[in-house]
Parts: sequence; C-alpha cells; structure tokens
Amino acid sequence: MPGLELEDVTVEASGAMIVGPVSLALEPGHCLTVMGETGAGKSLLAQAVIGALPPGLNAAGRIRIGGSRVDRWPRAGRTALWGRTVTLLPQEPWRALNPIMRSGSQVEETHRHVAGRSVRDARAATRADLLELDLLAAARHLPGTLSGGMAQRIAFAAAKAGGAPLVIADEPTKGLDADRVETVTALLKRVPEEGGALLTITHDLRLARRLGGECVILTGGVVVETGPTERLLSRPRSDYGQAMLAAEPSAWRLPQPVATGESVLRAEGLAVGRGGRVLVREFDLALRRSERISVVGPSGSGKSSLLDTLAGLLPPLSGRLRRGPGLPATAVQKLYQDPPAAFPDRVTLLASLRDVSRRHEVPWTCVEEALAALGVDPGLLQRRPAEVSGGELQRIALARVLMIRPAVLLADEPTSRMDPITQAAVIRLIARAAAEQGSAVVLVTHDRSIAERWAPEIRTVPALQARDPRG
Amino acid sequence: MNSGRLAGATMLGIVVVAASVGGQILGVDPAQQSLLDTLSGPSPAHPLGTDHLGRDMAGRLLAGAKLSLSLAGLSVLTAAIPGAALGVLASWRGGWTDRILGSISDAVLALPGLLLVLMLAAIAPGSWWVLYVGISLTLWVEYFRYTRARTRVLLAAPAVEASRLLGLGPVHVLYRHIGPEIATGMLTIAAFGAATAVASVAALGFIGIGLRPPVAEWGVMMSELLPYWREAPWLILQPVGCLVVVVIALHLLVGSTERTRP
Repeated sequence: MPGLELEDVTVEASGAMIVGPVSLALEPGHCLTVMGETGAGKSLLAQAVIGALPPGLNAAGRIRIGGSRVDRWPRAGRTALWGRTVTLLPQEPWRALNPIMRSGSQVEETHRHVAGRSVRDARAATRADLLELDLLAAARHLPGTLSGGMAQRIAFAAAKAGGAPLVIADEPTKGLDADRVETVTALLKRVPEEGGALLTITHDLRLARRLGGECVILTGGVVVETGPTERLLSRPRSDYGQAMLAAEPSAWRLPQPVATGESVLRAEGLAVGRGGRVLVREFDLALRRSERISVVGPSGSGKSSLLDTLAGLLPPLSGRLRRGPGLPATAVQKLYQDPPAAFPDRVTLLASLRDVSRRHEVPWTCVEEALAALGVDPGLLQRRPAEVSGGELQRIALARVLMIRPAVLLADEPTSRMDPITQAAVIRLIARAAAEQGSAVVLVTHDRSIAERWAPEIRTVPALQARDPRG
Repeated sequence: MNSGRLAGATMLGIVVVAASVGGQILGVDPAQQSLLDTLSGPSPAHPLGTDHLGRDMAGRLLAGAKLSLSLAGLSVLTAAIPGAALGVLASWRGGWTDRILGSISDAVLALPGLLLVLMLAAIAPGSWWVLYVGISLTLWVEYFRYTRARTRVLLAAPAVEASRLLGLGPVHVLYRHIGPEIATGMLTIAAFGAATAVASVAALGFIGIGLRPPVAEWGVMMSELLPYWREAPWLILQPVGCLVVVVIALHLLVGSTERTRP
C-alpha cells in the first residue's frame, strides 16, 4: 500500500536548484512533518510529489508512491492519482469549497466521481462520513452559512472521500484561531489512525508536537535535520531548529513598556457592530502613551471591527470615543494581517513610501534610517508588494506608519501568517519601535500565548453570535 | 507577448500604417470614376482592380480603412473617458449617485447597440456625426460598469484604508490604487469596443442607414458591389476581407491570453 518514498528529489528553475536533494520515507499509518522557514521550498516539495509544479519548475530524483516510480509517469497518469491515491488538503479549506453548492453534495460528488461509486453507494458513504464527523445537520447548508470549523470538516471529508491513502496537508493551521486548530489537528490525527500516511507541511510547532511521528527541517531547500518529532522539537541539533524553539512566544523577552501619563485614546461604554449586528458591547479603554495591550478572541468575534472603530473608520453604535488633545488626524495607524493587501499592488513599494514621506514632509533619509533599523534591504523597495515575503513586507508596512510617529498603533494579527522566527522578529521590532516613539500599541491576536507575552493587560472579545446552523 | 497577441498587433499595425500613409503613396483619388474601365481585374494602374464605376479599389479600401479606424478610435476615446470617470464616481459616492448612474447604464444596455444608432440615424440619415455619437453612446456603458465594479472592490480593500489613515487624499487613491488597477482592463474593453465600432459602421453602411454612397466606406462598398458578385466576385470579397482582418486583429490583440495549465 502507498507509503511515500523520496530519493534525492530536487526542484530546479532554469538551472538553479531551489529544493533538495531531499530524501525521506513515510510508511502507511505514520506521520511526517516538514518544517522550516517560509520560502524554504516546503510547498514546492509537496507539489513535486503530486506532480503539480508551476510551469518553469522541474523536479528530478526518484519519487515512489506505493512502490511505483511516479516521477517517470506522464502527467496524465499522475493526475489520475489525485484524490484516489494522494490528496492535498488545501490551505484555508473553506475557500476550497464551492460557495453555491450544498455541503453534503460536495462530499458526495467526490464519492461519486473520484471514487467511482454508484449514486446509491455515494449517498450512503457521504452519510456515513458526515455522521462520523458530526456534520449531518450541515449537509443541506451552503458552505457560507457554516461555522469555520464545520466548513473545515466538510472540506476534509470531501478531500478524503476519494479514499486516498496518502494525505498531504500544506500549512493546515495557518491563520487559524485556537478552536479551528483543534479541529484540524483532530482531523489530521485520524489519517494515520485509519492506516493512511500523512505528510504535513507547517511551521506551527504545536501542531507538529501533537501530530508526533517523524519530523524534517528544511531551510533553503535543504534538509538540515531529521528525527522523531518529540526529540527534534525538544532538543534540536540544527541552528534553525534551535532558533525555531527560541522563537516560541513562551520564550519571548520583550522590552517592558513604560506607560506615561498622557492619554491618547479613551473609550467609554463603546458598542461596536457592523451590518446591524452588535459585536462588542461595553468596551472601555484608557490608552496612554507607550502603553501596550492585547485583544484576544476567536475568528468572527469582532476584533477587527473593534479596531476599525478605534481607528475612526467605523462609527461606534453607542458610547464615547475620544482622542488625546492636540493629536492630528493621522495619529491612529493600523498594521494589517495580510501585508500585501495593505499596499497598492501595481506600484513599487518605493513609490508607496515616497507618497507618505512627501505628504508628511518627512525627509527621505529618515525613512531610509527607519528601514535600516528594521532590517529591510533597500533593494526590496524596487519591487511590488506581491514580490516581497510577508515578513519583509510587514516590516516595510511598519516603517510606513512609523514615519509619521503615530500616537496609537493598532496591529490586527500582524504576524498570524508568518513562520515562528519571522513572527518573533516582527513582534520584537514592533515593540521596540513603538517604545522608541512612545506609541501605544493595541495588538489583536487569536493566540493567547502571544497576547500574554505582549502585555499584562489582555482584553477578551467574546463571540456573541457563532455562525452555527445548529444554533 | 504570446503568438496570438503578436499576430494581432502585426495585422493591426499593417492596417493602421496603410490607412494613414497608403493613400498618399498610391496617389489615386478614390472618387475618380472611369466608366470605360469598370469591374476590371488587377492591373499595374489599379493593383486591386476597379469597381462598377471604374473607381480604384485599392484607393477606396484605404480610404475606408482610414474612415473606419478613425471613427472607431474616436468613439472609443469618447466612450472610455467619461465612462470610466462616471464608474469611479458611482463607486466613490455610492448612494443615490450610484443608483441613478447604474439605472441609466442599465437602460442603455437594455437597448441593442445598433438600435440606438438606428434611432439616431433616423433623425439625420447619412451623417458621420450620428454614427460617432451613437456608437459612443452604446460603448460607454462597458467602461462604466467595469470601472464601477473594480473601484468598489478596491475602495473597500485594506490598501485604500491604509492610505486614507496615512492622510493620503483622493488624488493618491486615484493615481496609485485605481488608475493602475483598471488600466489593463480598460485597454481590453477598448480593443473589443473598437472592433464592435468598425463592424457597426460597416453593418449600417451596408444596410443603407449609415454613411451613404459615394463615400468610400467598407459597408457602403459591400452594398454597392453586391449586385456584381457573379461577374466580379473578387471585388466584394475585398471590403469583406478588410473588415474580417481588422476585427480579428483587434480580438487577437487582447483576447488571447497565455494558456495556463489547469
């Protein structure tokens, strides 16, 4: 039965080696987790395994799935494996569902057309799957009306319905809140329990620990360490492995803020909502210069709406919101979860930054100094936002707001899509820069461990209405 | 640039160059009749032959190209600039502005494009201005709808929000966020619009509602040469071929994208 075996697998683009050589083996009933920095070629490795590399990239080396040398097969033959022998769990699975097709039908479709069952068998198999995942109530609903966790289970059921014994999960917990991480971990753990082989690509240390099995660390496309996950993630030998552990929020040491007297933002009895729904009630806040606070809460709980209200972008439903006396209109600034979405995407970063410096009459040399202090390579500014990594772009976004010395910085999950080392570096930079300028920072996160390290004061935003059709 | 685009650009380039300088190089008057030399085949004096009144076909085709292309280009410009401006305005202002402009565009869309030109042509038959105004009026809706939809998405995106928080004004948003984002789509619509315009001019000329004889226009030429198609089939095929080449070239120029793997 299909395990996975890679021997000296490489991926190259126009002569330059991007990944490898990588050799690894995965037996049925086992887990293998590939960890490593963003851009280390983890996803390319997965694409090489299933035979779906982007145009211009070529794989070499021996790839065996269930003992067959699939790397020698023509493309059509490898496509035939998809869903039946190897399946890929998409990142952010609810986006992989068809929004205008009932959830149950999407699972049934795979049973019918990928696994090739008769209509009656497909229906029965779907029912069994949904029953097992506690999803029967969701079957008749469209994906958009399901809670995130339910949509995730539907996507999992649809991906697994073809009966593929080899499952590849690419960053399955990226950007998820704690509850959804639970769901995903539980789903993934079923794969080896049911005799399948699970290849997970992640930089989530907690997920890797809970999956157990074997672990591979990849940096710069090269394997730097392999071993049992338990040993590797407690006593790593490689530099990267050690750095990864040191970057866990529990190990952070952030400079302690000294909140001084002057009040910059004050909210009393604030109620926040959007589209007729009240999301946050009775929110009080008295933010002083250099103060740091954390806001935690699950997805959809209104954390982002709260920030928008604090930023003056969304009028409060009731309550009072006041800025400190004499603060300019641009005193409150935001950092975004998805940095590429926070820049105009057709112009270079240089142009974006110059616009801000010109508008606020900040000498360009100051901007250059700020960029250097944040460790940004000036060459990156010639690029467009999509051509720069998330970590680098968040630093540039930070430089962009720091340029105008904001009194309040609202950071909306600024690191939730980054690997742990980049995350630790960016969080430290935000803390340091804000302390230097005396800016107060409100950090919104779904990760309690980050919230605890960030500030002594943690505000929880509860979800008032979960989007669960069972009520 | 892929092969489709290259082919489209080459074809269009040749037609444009021929239309702008070909007439002078050829040095013939497209209206000059010669009743002793009608429906003739190619000869050194008339490389593409002569029509039923002995007028030089090559000269007439080039004059027709000049007329069709300039009319199409002008109509596209006249439609694109206000269309895009109104689209941005509708999304930017929202509310009643959006609703009223949206209803107007829906009303224009409800009329088949040619019908609008026909109605105008009934007021002033055979006028160049009617064609120009009518075609522009049918074309602006596409720019309006496209820019309205794109702008709405862009204005709601974090990038614009960030710019506004940073104190950057509407000019910045137009120049950095909206302009570059809609430029490519506008060019695509413009090329398709130009193809529609060229075909419409010919269609109206052919059925006798657009430009009228003796103007050298492809549709008019087709209708004039239709009675002679048995005696001189090569003649009517010439304006038809020109029309086909121009429409295909415009579509190839923007309609062929790189084939990506599924």
